Amino acid sequence: MARRPRGLRWLLLGLALQNLGRRKARMLFLIAAVALGSGVVFTGATLMQSINRSMTAGFTRMGADLMVVPEGALTNITAALLVVEPTDLVLDADALGKARLSSVRRSAAQKIVRVQHSGIGSHHDSVDLIGFEPARDFTIQPWLVEKVNRELRRGDVILGAARDAPLGSELLIFGKPHTVYGRLARTGVGTHERGVFMSFATLEALAPAIPGDGGAPPAVLAPGKTTGFLVELAPDATALQARFAILSALKGVKVVSGDSSLGGIRQGLAALLDGILALMVLMFASSALMVSVLFSAIVTERRRELGLLKAIGARRAQVLGMMVSEAVLATGLGGLLGVVLGVLVLRLYEHSLVYYLDRVGVPFLWIDAPTMLAYAVAAIAMASVIGALAVLYPAWRASRRDAYDLVRSEG
Amino acid sequence: MLSCRHLRKSYATERGTVVAVEGIDLDVPAGRFAAVIGRSGSGKSSLMAMIGGLSRPSNGQVLVDSMDIWSLSDAELARFRNGRIGFIFQFASLLPTLRLVDNVALPAMLDHKRAGGDVYGRAATLLARLGLGDHLDAYPTEVSAGEQRRAVIARALINEPQVLLADEPTSDLDEQTEIEIMDELLGVNRELGTTLLLVTHNLALAEQAEQIVHIANGAVVT
Repeated sequence: MARRPRGLRWLLLGLALQNLGRRKARMLFLIAAVALGSGVVFTGATLMQSINRSMTAGFTRMGADLMVVPEGALTNITAALLVVEPTDLVLDADALGKARLSSVRRSAAQKIVRVQHSGIGSHHDSVDLIGFEPARDFTIQPWLVEKVNRELRRGDVILGAARDAPLGSELLIFGKPHTVYGRLARTGVGTHERGVFMSFATLEALAPAIPGDGGAPPAVLAPGKTTGFLVELAPDATALQARFAILSALKGVKVVSGDSSLGGIRQGLAALLDGILALMVLMFASSALMVSVLFSAIVTERRRELGLLKAIGARRAQVLGMMVSEAVLATGLGGLLGVVLGVLVLRLYEHSLVYYLDRVGVPFLWIDAPTMLAYAVAAIAMASVIGALAVLYPAWRASRRDAYDLVRSEG
Repeated sequence: MLSCRHLRKSYATERGTVVAVEGIDLDVPAGRFAAVIGRSGSGKSSLMAMIGGLSRPSNGQVLVDSMDIWSLSDAELARFRNGRIGFIFQFASLLPTLRLVDNVALPAMLDHKRAGGDVYGRAATLLARLGLGDHLDAYPTEVSAGEQRRAVIARALINEPQVLLADEPTSDLDEQTEIEIMDELLGVNRELGTTLLLVTHNLALAEQAEQIVHIANGAVVT
């Protein structure tokens, strides 16, 4: 008696595995093609997301595209729009959000109040206390060079580059204790470098202690009020379009433009990344087409075997299942190889270009490991799905034919 | 009882329609040995394929115990082929990538109800009975053509079919092997009561049959 009995699934799987080895050169070609396709997708997706992440960090450091402030407010023209300027005039904090402008990708409100005798610095020094919304901000937190290892919370302050205090130390502002949460890098923008930054909630809690004109706290410290907005354009919008849209939607505001070339570069790079994505999709689609043609030939070649299986009582689902298993095994292996090759390419990239960028002070931010793992799994899964889809139609057609026709076929 | 009623099979070719079987009526009582004879191209194999559920007739019926097999659904027909028909082709029809014992066990494993028992034990017993007890783990290419044909017979018998259809099962074998194979088939017919429909050019062999069906130009002559 045979010593190694096999279950049906193992038998059919074994049949599929052995068939893979029948025409080694063709199967290696198939696996290599799938490996190339899935490798390009994995590597491309990882690099694209990493570049996007690095770009996002880089460009947000370059400031907003536009700044929206009250019409009568004075503004200093600086190279980068990072922070609003002090003014007695105020806007409603939800004014821009309510307008729902398609040319605006995101906006962040800021409150600023210039105070004296705050307890920071020497007695007569004026200090800009700047409030921002941590969840919406994109011009302050990207400049954090050091911070306490936790999320920003009420009572925390961030110091501009020109101010110095140990992280985590206590800072009294108008006699009220605050914690130094972090410190910003040098930006060259005076208000930004000398500012003391905190959340709206922290700044509003200080309001009763801050004397304004006539003794009442400054109007901007009231909840729902803001000094101005920093605006990032939508990917396909121009500064001019956004300016017109804002001016027609909001009354009594002034729109200040930043360096328009930065927005153009960002939009251009975003378009380039979209182009790379399209190229990747095209490459994957062509791999899928090739796999489909190859499997069509494989099924044609094995019609007699499929006919024999049908003749001895295999159901169509069993015949299809065997062919799909075979295809999934081959293309899944290709996908796995592609990911391994992709990792090697990424390592090479890390040791060359990323190393160079780092040396010249341009940070390159890789996507995190779980995301990269998810991309790898997705690339392998996509390769397997392509194999299954590629074989499904020819196998389905073959399985519909009479067993006798299949058995009489050449192959 | 195996019956054919007005059975017709035509093929569409580039040169027009070719009629392979033209309105055959046939009755083969259960347990009988019937020989199908006729010249090459007379329609014998097409008839066998339709009876075995392998090729859909253009017209007519194939009745097994009064059930029209071609009215069954695709899954039911597969179950019918699996459980009630054993088909032996005129060529070695083993799957080359499976061992002999796997080849023989496979039909039983395709049906979940049969797969539960000692399928491999039955496969091994059948192969041993056909003189292949020492070749259970051999692959088809590792045994002779005659041994392959015996393994095919074992595979056809694994599910204890009601009808055994053998389409020139000894066509390319030497005389001695042919005698041995035919002895096995006739033994199955006699001992198990399996209906045997045998296509053959060997008139001496056909004369041993209880019923001879002579086919010419797709029709039954006698």
